[in-house]
Amino acid sequence: MIELINLSKTYASKNGDVEALKDINITVEDGDIFGIIGLSGAGKSTLVRCINLLERPTAGSVVIDGENLVGMPKKRLLEIRRKIGMIFQGFNLLEQRTAAENIRFPLELAGVKKADAAVRVSELLELVGLSDKAKAYPCELSGGQKQRIAIARALATQPKYLLCDEATSALDPNTTASILELLKEINQKLGVTVVIITHEMKVIESVCTKVAVLDHSRVAEIGNVTEVFADPQSSIAKELIIPDLIRTVQSASGGKKLRLIFRGELSDRPIISALALDLGVSVNILFADTKSIAGKTHGHMVIALNEDEVDKVTEYLSEKHILFKEEI
Amino acid sequence: MSDLLRQLLEEGTIALGIWETVYMTVLSTAFAYLLGLPLGVILCITDKNGLKPIVWLNKTLGVIVNFFRSIPFIILMVAFLPVAKTIVGTSLGNEAVIVMLVIAAAPYVARMVESSLKEVDKGVIEAAEAMGASTFEIIFKVLLPEAKPALLIGAVISTVTVLGYSAMAGTIGGTGLGQIAIDLGHKRFKDDVIWVCVVLIVIIVQIIQELGMFAVRRVDKRIGGKKRKKSAKTAEEK
Repeated sequence: MIELINLSKTYASKNGDVEALKDINITVEDGDIFGIIGLSGAGKSTLVRCINLLERPTAGSVVIDGENLVGMPKKRLLEIRRKIGMIFQGFNLLEQRTAAENIRFPLELAGVKKADAAVRVSELLELVGLSDKAKAYPCELSGGQKQRIAIARALATQPKYLLCDEATSALDPNTTASILELLKEINQKLGVTVVIITHEMKVIESVCTKVAVLDHSRVAEIGNVTEVFADPQSSIAKELIIPDLIRTVQSASGGKKLRLIFRGELSDRPIISALALDLGVSVNILFADTKSIAGKTHGHMVIALNEDEVDKVTEYLSEKHILFKEEI
Repeated sequence: MSDLLRQLLEEGTIALGIWETVYMTVLSTAFAYLLGLPLGVILCITDKNGLKPIVWLNKTLGVIVNFFRSIPFIILMVAFLPVAKTIVGTSLGNEAVIVMLVIAAAPYVARMVESSLKEVDKGVIEAAEAMGASTFEIIFKVLLPEAKPALLIGAVISTVTVLGYSAMAGTIGGTGLGQIAIDLGHKRFKDDVIWVCVVLIVIIVQIIQELGMFAVRRVDKRIGGKKRKKSAKTAEEK
């Protein structure tokens, strides 16, 4: 378990102090795929670097499996870092080493015997599907292949945790999807707890179980991905998750606006026509962003209603267990 | 061809000059690296953005290095003769010249090494830190191996610079092609002797340069290493 407690980080700069993180409290449970999202400059990268103390927090604690990393002797810190793998946006492979030698690198640091290391390296190459690239140098690999090697390298010492700093941001959508799939597999098969830093909502949506939304150095919102996605509370989360919806609602005029939230409860039931048929109300759809996943509808829809029909509709929706919010 | 040149060639003076120039250069550069390489590493890692920032040490070494680099070699040679006397027991001849060359070249090498190491991608260093590598391990397993091509190029440039300095050896009684060109060519008005020495020095520099670049191409595994360009392309096509 990773616990960040009252974590703050302040940089001294010429124009006074810059607060990169303010009073962050996050708990990552074992087995989670924990996403941390925010716009650039929100403090995401600083935050992830505080987890393995590549950045030293100015205040607060970083507790990993009950041990506070802040203030612990350097030697112990280096040991703990071996339990925490990390991958990066820029891959950060050693360019003068082959793929296999890159994966072997952390094993060398850990003092693993050569023969044992060789076995482990070939296992890892197989895990990431690049057994044929063992002797290739990084410059001979594509971006996605480099990230796979970086993942294999991060997993070499069988860490409990894997930190991903914008690991898919330099990759095209297809490659991103395959890397995320690999991360999911690692989480499920090897039981590695994954922390993902990203600015892309899609990344969170497709793999994460929990999410923290970072805004101006603070945690604006935190929770299960399904809940936060269905009903974002903070303005930053709304901006990130349903940006078009916000804009539509703001520009639309007149009437009462209701946002319906679909979380897969109703299958193919056409709710809008049901509203029209059962209640006889006229519904104006202002915005819809829904998708069907395994026959279930997920997403948001904003409808405009006449003032006097609102109560009728809300009652009906509650009856049908459909989540809604009034939008101003 | 002047009689003097013929005589020098027949007596093997020129051949000896080649040997002396080469051995002074190689030996001095090797000693300069013995001092300059660790110095360069220290300069790099104690920098305020380095692995182990120690600002006072960095500043002090920086001042010392700059001090020696500022002195023109011909003046350094005469100014530091007592140093040669304490180290090799004489302030005359090739041994003394080698001491002077090392004094002049080590700071130069240190800066060369420092800048090569600073070129290593910060992200790679960060990745190694995240894996729990100690500063020592980062220096020997990341910085130096990753900077190998740049270090080799630096070594070629340093060697050629030292070779150039060694031409001034005659000033303190040293020998070699430079001394032949000045004492036997210039001072006796024998232009052909000068030019033979010039051509020989140019050839030596060319050989050092070519050998060095060949080694760099062999060692560098990044794109640009000749052989790899092709295979990188095929990897992309896949």
